[in-house]
Amino acid sequence: MRRFRTITKIAAAVAMTGVLLAGCSTETPETTAAATTAAATEAATTAAEAEAAETEAAETEAAGPLAGKSISVMTPYMASVTTNQMVGYIEEGLKDLGAEVFVIDTANDFAALASRIEDVVSSGTDGIVLVSADPNQVANQLQEAFDANIPVFGCDSGFIDGMQLNATSDNRQMGELIVKYLFDDLMGGKGTVIALTHRPHPGVVLRCEAFDEIIKDYPDIELITEQHVPAEQPINDAQDIVANLLTANPDKDSITAIFAAWDEPAIGATNALQEAGRDEVIVTGVDGNEQAVELIKEGTNLKATVKQNFEGMSEIVCSEIEKYFGGNASEPGEQYAPAQLITQENAE
Amino acid sequence: MKGHNLKQYGTVAALLAIVAVFGILRPQAFLSLRNFVNITRQMAPLAIVALGATFVMTVNEFDLSIGSIVSLGGIIAALLAIRGVPVAVCFLAAVLICIGVGCVNGFLIAKFRILSFITTLGMGTVLDGVIYGLTGGATIFNGIPRSFTIPGILRIAGIPFITLTAAILYLAFHVFMSHTPVGRKLYAIGGNREAAEIAGIRLFRFRVLAFALSGAMAGLAGALVASRVGSANTTAGQGYFLQSYAAVFIGCTVSKSGVPSVIGTLIGTAILAVMANGLTILQMPSFMQDIITGGIIILAIVAQKIGAGR
Repeated sequence: MRRFRTITKIAAAVAMTGVLLAGCSTETPETTAAATTAAATEAATTAAEAEAAETEAAETEAAGPLAGKSISVMTPYMASVTTNQMVGYIEEGLKDLGAEVFVIDTANDFAALASRIEDVVSSGTDGIVLVSADPNQVANQLQEAFDANIPVFGCDSGFIDGMQLNATSDNRQMGELIVKYLFDDLMGGKGTVIALTHRPHPGVVLRCEAFDEIIKDYPDIELITEQHVPAEQPINDAQDIVANLLTANPDKDSITAIFAAWDEPAIGATNALQEAGRDEVIVTGVDGNEQAVELIKEGTNLKATVKQNFEGMSEIVCSEIEKYFGGNASEPGEQYAPAQLITQENAE
Repeated sequence: MKGHNLKQYGTVAALLAIVAVFGILRPQAFLSLRNFVNITRQMAPLAIVALGATFVMTVNEFDLSIGSIVSLGGIIAALLAIRGVPVAVCFLAAVLICIGVGCVNGFLIAKFRILSFITTLGMGTVLDGVIYGLTGGATIFNGIPRSFTIPGILRIAGIPFITLTAAILYLAFHVFMSHTPVGRKLYAIGGNREAAEIAGIRLFRFRVLAFALSGAMAGLAGALVASRVGSANTTAGQGYFLQSYAAVFIGCTVSKSGVPSVIGTLIGTAILAVMANGLTILQMPSFMQDIITGGIIILAIVAQKIGAGR
């Protein structure tokens, strides 16, 4: 029995050492760690604030237009490659302007996001940046921020009254761009198509609506089925869904194209098609994530995506925050960063 | 006797009925060898996670951290692969670390006699934090070598490696649970903990073992999924948490005594996988798939209760 306990303890120690070692070898921004701690418990919030005060003291020398301002960058979708990129750009941009930045991720959980917004409002944050999150789902909590005169900036989110800004791509226009390219240039105006969607997302749903509208103008294009892809592991799930749909439509040319409303299911669809040897099926995505662009370059089934200008959106957010605290805020509303069609010709 | 049969064979009959319905509706697509292989590959990761959940439920406990362990397994394997570690070592490290997590779970629960529900809920939160710390919250895909994706896409004599792995694990653990003294004692604890204790079975050891096995299975499944898709998503395991318990609960309806079993869980997983596959082949809208699958789970449990009442 004692020996068994010893083995258990050794196993636990090995596990923890492994995790710690792996942790040491990756670069994680200190502020991110502090923000996560803050999100965990109220007690931890105090600890994070103490830590923040130290950071602030250390950074007094590096003053900028946002020196002394503490900005909370909040998202439920940090696991998404593109959301992660935007958070990174914003964090870097705001730090360059001298602000102190707290990044908070709630791992797909909107209820937790609502609670964390309440927390940062009560802790007196100077500003909130909401990344890739529908503000309508946390409208009550944002109202608390508005009441406390805390400015709220959206990045690829949505816009509700009271917010200062939402910097985004025009998702509707991106949807139109890719759907028209798919229908006209890739399909030649005829054939069958499968749609992989996720309508609960505020941006993705606009692309889906563009698809719904445009397909009405193409009587020779038939929608085989629309399938909802969950957000937890979209590549794996889309791969399974498409593998099953290929089984249902086994004949070559029975499926002309697959429209994926964002890049991750497009990657999953491409994996399934390659595995089944169905080279004839065309896939398109939206977002321009690196893995998707790589597949386009390699000449796989994935033929095109629309690269959202995430860096551009993040720049708009940072510059608007700077303007706001400089006393010359723009009119509240949405601002668009232009999107670009990516095909094998211009993929890099 | 009639009720007895219903309990013993009802769930298997339900699986066969589901297969028959899909077979009649779409014979060419559904009843093909290729689709059968597809189903086994699609169900393999869930089957492996659910196998782990079976051990924990066998000793009357719950492991709510199982989803986070799946994510952790994938993340560790992918992070090591990026650093040029050989694939086998990536997998081994992921499994060992997840066994360690399981041991900690089991140790805390058995040593301090605290509720597994709360302990593993806490552990799941800790692991989510660890995963966030390791990745910054981002999906890992940049720099993953091609070799890392081999276990996920490899086929041996036409059978996916993932399927073979799950099949070997189920065979091995079926033999282990039914035909070895340790396995039988695990079942005995689930059957009646007090009686098992009086009979001299050392509960501490077996509970730690159950959680360690659960960790091992979840970690392996996580690494296999990451290998299959060529990336590691920080929330990849979330979907497996509830589904694995659904599989085990459906599986409980297979055995005479209504307790978790290896074969039961396999049938439970098969029902979920066949439903997902068949409904997609029928090109059923996603919302209908959820309604039908959830309905079948409830029906299975109700059917077992009715059977037990007879």
